Amino acid sequence: MPKRPREDVDDLSRPAKRSRFSSFDKISPLSDELLLRIFSNLPISTLALCQRISHRFYDIAGDSQLWKSAYYTRFVRPRASRIPGIRDHGSTAGSLQYSSKVSRWLDDHELVKSGSQTNWKRQYKLRHNWSRGSCDVREIQVAERPCAPPLLVRLHQGIVFTVDLTCGLRAWTVKGNHKLLAIVALRRGTPDGPGNIAPTSMGVDVQDSNPDLVNVAIGFEDGQFSIYALKKSAGKFIHRFSHAPSSAGMISAIAFAAPYLLAMTEGQLLSLYRFSLDSAQQPELRMEAPHLLCSLQSHTVWPPLSLSLRPSSQNILASIAYALPTYPSGWSVGLQELRLTLDGEIKESRIASAVEQGFQSLSMSSAAASFSSTLTDQMPSKPTSLSYSHPYLLASRPDNTLTLYLVTSTMDSLSIGSGTRLWGHTSSVSSAHVGGRGKAVSVSSRGDDLRIWELEGGTASASMRRRLATGEMSIRIRPDTANGIAISGETPLRGQTYARQFELRHLVGCGAEDAYMSRGWVGFDDEKVVVLQDRSHEGQALVVYDFT
Amino acid sequence: MSNTIILTSSDNVEIPVDREVAERSILIKNMLEDVGDAAANEPIPIPNVNEAVLKKVIEWCVHHKGDPPAAADDETESRKRTTEIDEWDQKFMQVDQEMLFEIILAANYLDIKALLDVGCKTVANMIKGKSPEEIRKTFNITNDFTPEEEEQIRRENEWAEE
Repeated sequence: MPKRPREDVDDLSRPAKRSRFSSFDKISPLSDELLLRIFSNLPISTLALCQRISHRFYDIAGDSQLWKSAYYTRFVRPRASRIPGIRDHGSTAGSLQYSSKVSRWLDDHELVKSGSQTNWKRQYKLRHNWSRGSCDVREIQVAERPCAPPLLVRLHQGIVFTVDLTCGLRAWTVKGNHKLLAIVALRRGTPDGPGNIAPTSMGVDVQDSNPDLVNVAIGFEDGQFSIYALKKSAGKFIHRFSHAPSSAGMISAIAFAAPYLLAMTEGQLLSLYRFSLDSAQQPELRMEAPHLLCSLQSHTVWPPLSLSLRPSSQNILASIAYALPTYPSGWSVGLQELRLTLDGEIKESRIASAVEQGFQSLSMSSAAASFSSTLTDQMPSKPTSLSYSHPYLLASRPDNTLTLYLVTSTMDSLSIGSGTRLWGHTSSVSSAHVGGRGKAVSVSSRGDDLRIWELEGGTASASMRRRLATGEMSIRIRPDTANGIAISGETPLRGQTYARQFELRHLVGCGAEDAYMSRGWVGFDDEKVVVLQDRSHEGQALVVYDFT
Repeated sequence: MSNTIILTSSDNVEIPVDREVAERSILIKNMLEDVGDAAANEPIPIPNVNEAVLKKVIEWCVHHKGDPPAAADDETESRKRTTEIDEWDQKFMQVDQEMLFEIILAANYLDIKALLDVGCKTVANMIKGKSPEEIRKTFNITNDFTPEEEEQIRRENEWAEE
């Protein structure tokens, strides 16, 4: 059969010839199923192009199942094969059937649970952008001038909570248009008490039993603490409870997992409280005074520290990760884990500390030993921040590095593996935050170098060792639009002065202006990284890096 | 039991074929099992596939007679070998588009998964590496977007470009 003349190609309106040659669109009339099967062989870059071809192609190439499959191939299957014990399920994930247990492990159960509601293309894009460090940047101005003591920040499910003396407790949404959701002046537990007692710690309730309410616990410098609830639908904070000041001093860290509250004071007194569960009977969500379940005095816990509270149906697991001075090898980290009954009886208390490099066990390979011996020349400096999300314990240090420790917690033992130094930053690292999946974000103290780390599986796997050797552990966040990230480089860091929540008020009191650095705080959720940045004389801003 | 069966194409042409070859089609295999040996000598009508296409499909089945049957978890395997097609199949698929899509439809109807995959991968390879306009030309697809709509989708998908 002769080929059609060339000029016919563009003329789609020409009536069909008797020739059965393909002058017709043969592909668009195919069933959805067949088109999907064809498209399932295409990489996502081609799928994205195909969406531009026609309405029909737009719908099929945007099909959630295709993107779900691509998502699993790229982001889940490699992880599934890394995690021992669920390797067998890797192929299951490929055929798009997920056991709830595995997806929970993979931290994707929320996505799978939402089922057809999940926009997999959007999820793919999100992960894709994370992996490249590409994002949009926007800012929220939170303070006109530097406030003292500094602003405390927490990020929880797309809501940023800030608290400070001047403006009180505020909640901002970082989804879509950034706006102030709610604001409330700090309320005193004692009505006649002084009005200028500063908040020193904040914890957001990790148990979200009611999707409309987010509980926030705030600790103050006089040892009292308050509970507020953000009622999302009403756009307001509701004051639920204030505890009287404590003689143990400032509350330096607080963790809240309703109905349990864990607070650490300046005097290293750790207290666990339980609120009454039937608070629903109380008007306006008021809560009655909690029972003090137990109280422990510690002598070894140094700041910075990270508190966490994980209640389960049988017991409560409280853990305190802290900096630990060791001589003569510098600073290490320690972890105390308390297992309590629901009534607060301590069943078990375990302490572990990391074996610092230089004290390698003999089982280490000689290559690793010689590698680490070079490290002992520079003693580990005191961490600037600690973040613990089991099993990852991440310390940021002023010497441009992070240290990753893997925690092993079994029924019989608690141990911390020797730390692995992570290079990538080129200046002092002021804060780092690690999530349950091993994703971590760290920020330099000038706030200009923000890095994403994928630490899942620790440093034991071959691929991880390779990346470690080549320095490809982290990705620097590269905002797509550079507007708004004015980097205040004019205030150089002074030696070892780095932020410690506790000391800030003293430092500020001494007028050590450039030592006052609250800009170190960094936190992230699935879609955003939020960094608190200090603009020396221009106040403070939350910089939101949006990966959607 | 007979080793040769007769298939009748949509244009009423009877085509004899080895039973083993024909059973690459899960549709035919199940049909033969259902009717039992007694009826296996009757011609089997394949009303959706014409002679030319059916012969082409049989040619493929003959060549792949010895292949191990597709495993249940073929899905992941085929994903791994994305768009890799063996040489004989590539030659086999060098047909005009009319025939290519007829083969895909026939493979789908007759339930011959491996052939369906080869067909789909062939089409996927025709899509790859082309601009949207080139893809439209290749398949004679009418662009039913306004330029503004197309531009909007381009921007929406910019992130995925390589």
